[in-house]
Amino acid sequence: MTEMATPPLSRAEPERHPAPPLTDASAAALAARARQRRLRESVTIIGVQLLIALLLLAGMYALNATAGNLTMPHPMAVLNQSIKMWSDGTMLRALGETLTVLSLGFLLAAATGIGLGILLGGFRFAGRIFDPFVNAMNSTPGAAFIPLIIVWFGLYTEAKVVVVWNAAMFPILINTAAGISNANKDLVEMARAFGATRANLFWKVMVPDALPSILSGLRIGAAVSTVGTVIAELTMAQSGLGGLLIAAGNRFQMDRYFAVVIVLMALGTLITALLRYAENRVSRWRLTLADGR
Amino acid sequence: MADTEALISLRHVGKSFKDGQVRALQDISFDVHPGEFISLVGPSGCGKTTLLRLINGLIEPDEGDVRVLGKRPQPGPDLAMVFQSARLLPWRTVMGNIEFALALRGLSRKEQSQRALALLGAVGLRDFADAYPHELSGGMQQRVGLARALAVEPKVLLMDEPFAALDAMTREVLRGELLQMWSRRRMAIVFVTHDIDEAILLSQRVILLRPRPGRIDEIIDVDLPEPRWQHDPRTLPAFADMRAHLWGRIHEMARDGAELEELAAAFPDLEPAQMGRQ
Repeated sequence: MTEMATPPLSRAEPERHPAPPLTDASAAALAARARQRRLRESVTIIGVQLLIALLLLAGMYALNATAGNLTMPHPMAVLNQSIKMWSDGTMLRALGETLTVLSLGFLLAAATGIGLGILLGGFRFAGRIFDPFVNAMNSTPGAAFIPLIIVWFGLYTEAKVVVVWNAAMFPILINTAAGISNANKDLVEMARAFGATRANLFWKVMVPDALPSILSGLRIGAAVSTVGTVIAELTMAQSGLGGLLIAAGNRFQMDRYFAVVIVLMALGTLITALLRYAENRVSRWRLTLADGR
Repeated sequence: MADTEALISLRHVGKSFKDGQVRALQDISFDVHPGEFISLVGPSGCGKTTLLRLINGLIEPDEGDVRVLGKRPQPGPDLAMVFQSARLLPWRTVMGNIEFALALRGLSRKEQSQRALALLGAVGLRDFADAYPHELSGGMQQRVGLARALAVEPKVLLMDEPFAALDAMTREVLRGELLQMWSRRRMAIVFVTHDIDEAILLSQRVILLRPRPGRIDEIIDVDLPEPRWQHDPRTLPAFADMRAHLWGRIHEMARDGAELEELAAAFPDLEPAQMGRQ
């Protein structure tokens, strides 16, 4: 970018020749170069990712060729099974059942977890009272309650929703409560100094300040919900993708089994990506802060 | 001075922390009159910020009496605070931050945005109305903090070392701007600083505090020509004399055995969040 056409500067009066201002043309050139660099970077990343996927696929072929169909199904067989299961409605129905349990359980967990978290985080007296109980529930694996839930709620959708709710609520509750009770003390004092009422302080300062924390709780809760749904479908009345999974596995139909696993993978990735997107949008100020932009 | 009604009056105010183990303030008495600019100066740990919190009504005195406009102070429309860091809500725009304070005063949406824009104009940040705080420099953030405090049209502006975290040049510019705002609006200002030059430069009266426990060492009237943002008083002999005198007092305090560093640690920030869990 050095300007070679200008005559050499006289040393005596350098202040007469300030650095040439960034013209529109050179700014555009800079931007174009930055864009190109970013493009090159993402092309490289996607290229390597494709390479890894191909290697995995090649590994499947190799394992299938050497160890047989039971150890590793032939990728084409998995593809064929996928097409079959999608076209005859098996997969769609299973996906529907799974999504019903998953979304009902997660929404219930989110509503109760955020609500109780706000209460326990906001009222420190209540928080201190319930702390050991919340911790005990949170550190017990969700699967431990399945027998009890079966006795209380049966084997079907409503019981599965309870399993998911029970597993996902506590991480959401704990993150929400922590976010509220760790709200920035300086901002709280500022709001009080300006005469904020308790309600204003709470809804306009503490809750927004806790939002990033609440959203990470939701992201963890969603991951736990997916696990909980599949576990419920495996152990209670078999249904949904988990039911397909165990049915195929029990019959050693590994191609069918893999077709279901791929759907579960895609589902989990999609949910996490959606929640990360929401998290980034809501806490954009915090993100840009971290990026230094 | 005695003939005008005092805006703020403190009588024999004392305050302790840690269940009375640490005496932060003892027997503090002074008045602030309408439109007066006073500074509270002293080494760290002499309870300057505690004194501001008492005046703001964020905390209550253990002894004595604090009165603002004849009443016990309550955080509200008569008082506004400017902090050492701007303390802006990071999820709100510059404009939104000023509107936040105005909404607490019960202004309508329209009034909020009108007044916020006017104040942003006054501090030269109208173009940044839609920017977020992290996009601004420290000096600009502090300007927003000042605009937020002025927006509520307080009778008293409480300032807690507002320029201490800024670089020297920004500090100098903002001091000038503050003096101009004050001469136009004439609210009372209680300005906490540990910078003696700053205290003399800005205020009409300097209250020198001594530590352990915090009490008044001396109250000095600053009789320098106004307006000071036009005629820098720092070259005047009177300024140098006052400066020398105040530094003399502070060196004396140090000789009296006040270990200043040690004291700074003795006053933890008072828990401001009554609702916050530990």
